Amino acid sequence: MTASTLQQVRSIASDIFGVPTDKIIPESSPETIENWDSMQHLNLVLAIEEKFGVQLEPEDIEGMKNIGAVAALVERLQSAAR
Amino acid sequence: MAIVIQSYRPEHEPAVEEFNRRLQAAADPNLVFYKTSAPQWLPKVGDHLLYNEYFIAVDAGIVRGAYALKHERVFVPGQGEIAVACYHHPLSEGIVNRTYAAVGALMVRDALLRQPLLYALGMGGYDHPLPKMLKALGSSLALLPFFFKIVHPSRFLKEMQALRTSAPRRLLMHIGAATGLGWLALRGAQNVKRARWTRSEGVDVSRVPEFSDWADPLWLQAREQYRMAAVRDSATLRRLYPAADRHFTRLRIQRNQTDIGWAVVGERRKDSKYGSMTVGSIVDCWASPEDAIAVIEAATRELEAQKVDLIVSNQSHLAWGHALERCGFFKGPSNFIFAASKKYAEALHPFAENCRTFHITRADGDGLPRNF
Repeated sequence: MTASTLQQVRSIASDIFGVPTDKIIPESSPETIENWDSMQHLNLVLAIEEKFGVQLEPEDIEGMKNIGAVAALVERLQSAAR
Repeated sequence: MAIVIQSYRPEHEPAVEEFNRRLQAAADPNLVFYKTSAPQWLPKVGDHLLYNEYFIAVDAGIVRGAYALKHERVFVPGQGEIAVACYHHPLSEGIVNRTYAAVGALMVRDALLRQPLLYALGMGGYDHPLPKMLKALGSSLALLPFFFKIVHPSRFLKEMQALRTSAPRRLLMHIGAATGLGWLALRGAQNVKRARWTRSEGVDVSRVPEFSDWADPLWLQAREQYRMAAVRDSATLRRLYPAADRHFTRLRIQRNQTDIGWAVVGERRKDSKYGSMTVGSIVDCWASPEDAIAVIEAATRELEAQKVDLIVSNQSHLAWGHALERCGFFKGPSNFIFAASKKYAEALHPFAENCRTFHITRADGDGLPRNF
């Protein structure tokens, strides 16, 4: 994944989970970020869809297991749309 | 393996039992999804359009979430009867294990795909996860008024656990109950409310064992007067309040030998927040708005005759709320939310303006058979 996409996803996650960007790493997940619950997962889904203009399918939503996976998902969807 | 949301079938019952066990052990003993895959309440029968359907989120044979849809029809003037569904009893393993934080979002999106005209009712207040999720997904939300009438003030003062939240308040309520001062104060307040209440003239009330054809003209006559009402024709009423269900009292209300409305009342199941009080509920009711007072009066008298200590009701429509207040009810703090999905809110447009003209009662949503 590109550094730019990862940076954008980290920034979105920082806003949603209320955690400083520098504390969010590709391995950050619901197990390591305290505020990452069902509600915030939905907010992350909606924010990703809005920011990147993509539509997430159920398997995409379930695959968002950590920040790195979210960034990789965004890149895959963007390249599929091109 | 990916999580798949699918219909709940008999072979999943052991996995649902395991799911319930995990939730109960880690969170709350009340977090239980339906043990049987075939709904006990409103199963799909023939071509009836009012029925429940259950879904589960399965990951490699293990159940990680579950929810129910109650399919039904509502009448919206200008649009006729439209199919909608109530999203109820959603439970996610994410509550107890954040590895499954995605399940809640997956389930609510799945429900919206199955029925875009989706609603949820109750939910315990705006600060709870479900209304927050629905709002994030573009639902419109409104709080439905809650009304209560104290029939036996001394028992109310003694038992009302929810109000006894602080030591000074507990002491005041105890003194009020012990000395009779509280009784006098509450009676006084209710009498002021009832001062303008003149008993409806020429009204006859009869208990009926079951709803029959007489209820159909009432449905057809009054439905245009509400911006939205769930179908309450006689066939639907027999599904909701079957003759065999003894928890309900069904009232037929006539004026000068002409049907003007009906009401369903019943005793709520015991709830620790009401102590040992007997709590009656005006579960459901129907009439033209101008006849709401006669119907609420009949329902109230019936519950008073059944010797309940407290009567509660949720009514969205202004006329029904007004009728309750005229019959001595107080308006209390409500946590009873009506959430309509984006598509459903479009059908009810303008939602915020219209919501006090919808006809929503305790019987809508998943309030029946005993959670009314």
